[in-house]
Amino acid sequence: MGKGWCLFFLFWPVAAVVSCAMAPWIGWSFPYDNAQAASNLGIRIDGLFYLILIITAIVFIGTQAALVYALWRGANNRKERADCVHGNHNLELIWSIIPGVILLFLAIYQMNIWADFRIKKYFPEAAVKAPIAEITARQFEWRFRYPAIGKILQQKPQPDDLYSVNELHVPFGKPVMIQLRSDDVQHSFFMPALRIKQDALPGLQIPVWFEANKPGTYDLVCAELCGWGHYKMKAHVIVQSEDEYQNYLKTLTEQQFYDGLGKIAATENNSENGSESEATEK
Amino acid sequence: MRFGFSHLILLLLFPLISFPGCEQPQVEFVFAKKTKELMPEAAGPVKAALVKQFGNPFALTQFEGLPTNFGDVQATVKTVEASGADQPLIRFQATGLADSYDKLQGLPLEWTSGKGQGHISRIKEYNFETGTIAVEKSAEIDPQPGDTFLVECVRLQFGRDLYNRHCMHCHGMSGEGTGPTSRYLNPPPRDFRLGIYKYTSTKSTSKAQEADLGRTVKEGIAGTYMPSFKLLTEDEVSAIVNYVIWLSIRGETEKKLDDELFLDYSKEVFAERTSEEGGETREEVLEELKDFMEEDFPDTLEFSTSSVSEAWEEANLEDAVVIPKTARVPDTAESRERGRKLYLSEKTKCASCHGPQGRGNGTATQDFWTNPATNEKYPNRGLHDIWGNQLPPRDLHRGIYRGGRRPIDTYRRLFAGIKGTPMPAFGGSLSDAELWDLVNYVMNLPYEGNR
Repeated sequence: MGKGWCLFFLFWPVAAVVSCAMAPWIGWSFPYDNAQAASNLGIRIDGLFYLILIITAIVFIGTQAALVYALWRGANNRKERADCVHGNHNLELIWSIIPGVILLFLAIYQMNIWADFRIKKYFPEAAVKAPIAEITARQFEWRFRYPAIGKILQQKPQPDDLYSVNELHVPFGKPVMIQLRSDDVQHSFFMPALRIKQDALPGLQIPVWFEANKPGTYDLVCAELCGWGHYKMKAHVIVQSEDEYQNYLKTLTEQQFYDGLGKIAATENNSENGSESEATEK
Repeated sequence: MRFGFSHLILLLLFPLISFPGCEQPQVEFVFAKKTKELMPEAAGPVKAALVKQFGNPFALTQFEGLPTNFGDVQATVKTVEASGADQPLIRFQATGLADSYDKLQGLPLEWTSGKGQGHISRIKEYNFETGTIAVEKSAEIDPQPGDTFLVECVRLQFGRDLYNRHCMHCHGMSGEGTGPTSRYLNPPPRDFRLGIYKYTSTKSTSKAQEADLGRTVKEGIAGTYMPSFKLLTEDEVSAIVNYVIWLSIRGETEKKLDDELFLDYSKEVFAERTSEEGGETREEVLEELKDFMEEDFPDTLEFSTSSVSEAWEEANLEDAVVIPKTARVPDTAESRERGRKLYLSEKTKCASCHGPQGRGNGTATQDFWTNPATNEKYPNRGLHDIWGNQLPPRDLHRGIYRGGRRPIDTYRRLFAGIKGTPMPAFGGSLSDAELWDLVNYVMNLPYEGNR
């Protein structure tokens, strides 16, 4: 082994560390200029990410430094012969137990966040009670079905449901839940700014909750290669105040029940349909 | 192995090896099947006329009298670069283009002052940063600082670029509906060249409004592969619609010319005419064709273009839109019952296609239908659209509304029919109240078991 090779093997870990450290400044970090996550859960997930990053960085730098040191020592010292060791029980115990402890720590440490995000029992109660919309992923767009104003989202479509495509409106500052479906193949509901990602599977209805913590327009993209038009499967999530959100639903109602003359027959529909459903149940 | 310098170089070169970038394909607008079936002497002038009026995707051409927003931009020559006698291009910097589209390559440039006044050059190169334009040198032009010119088709080019990025891979470069991804789709992408669009707000004889096409682009067509392009801006959508209508006008002009020539000068007719039964010689037919081309073809061409243009202009007038005379009849059980009776009645015959239960399985789907274009029976049972595709009547229980789910959308489908399909227009035969009853009945079908 020449000194050139030592330098070569030193160069790559140094380049890796430097480029990782510089990443946030050249836009290779979290999306939207390394902005803080737009959901509280997202901030906690970022915390996990940084914790793992720090642990792996320490391990990486330590092992690489040891490797380069061993190479350098071998290259400079032609008299000293390397020993051939057939197993060292103590060393093996050390390099098994230390990573094991770290992994166990990570596995236990992240359990709360995982449970809060994925296990329906731990979802915020208010969000579970009134899912705001059913989201149907299909090649290659996102379709949304909201319940009528003041109503609860039903499993089956209702005549007064409100529909939109590629534009999801969400009130901010409170946890909301959506029901995720797929019409055709596997898709993935991904909001990078909120750090929310969930696969959509045909035949399943998957609940997803999130709480946006600042108003704005965020991207909703498909994160599962779903066909030739995967790249164009992009929508906007518009996070706005409760008032603006209710206004949006009103406008949507007006648009959807437009009869060509500017008169809205929607309210009549609502009361009439409501009374009838009671009648049929009896 | 000792470390060698050459090894280091090789290793460092690996990440640097990259593939050359992809270039935009140089393609041409395709011609209709019917044009190809004309005898070459008849097809030639048709193709020449189309290229003259519409150019090609990478060399768009402005043609006066089309209801298209070509988007001319006025500009002035600032400085002219000196160029040697052996250089084929002449370069100059221009002012006035800073606010317009940044890709002008391939567009016609009409000189409005100076030596080349009235002459049209093609832009060969364009640099938006420096405002430098390169055109081919010719004896007619001699750009000098202060000369003014028009860059034509700027808006059309903007629409073309958006179309090629978002729409072309299905709808094809010429709007012929056979782009590379079209083979995976059912229903197949629309062929724009007939100028017929299904989901419109206009009367049954009118073309589509620009707003209708814009709505389709933004909302997509549920139940088909047409996705929503809601993230495009209003300006981009209108540019795409502008370009799509222009493609339609091109296709319709071609179709009108073909229809004019097809009866006498298709390859098949030519073979018949020169056969023993026809008794004509090749020279006689060619002579007749030559007379037609000299005397009648220019008028035919002008009439074709202008009639198509007028139809598109008329569709965008206010009185082309279907507007109900009365507001929607309240969606009550009585109204739906009246609608149901109408649906099953002999007056509407809805059930003959859509089925007595609205499942899209009426008796008409078992018949062999006649193709109105060829007067021959289709090889398959069931209904077909004007593009020749098999078209099952809609299952009304699915709650998927391709043309939009507003009551007015369903009303318009009933009032004006669906263009290019066997769905008839009921605007004359049914009253407004009856139409609304039908709307209430049909729009309630998907929810019968849901409440």
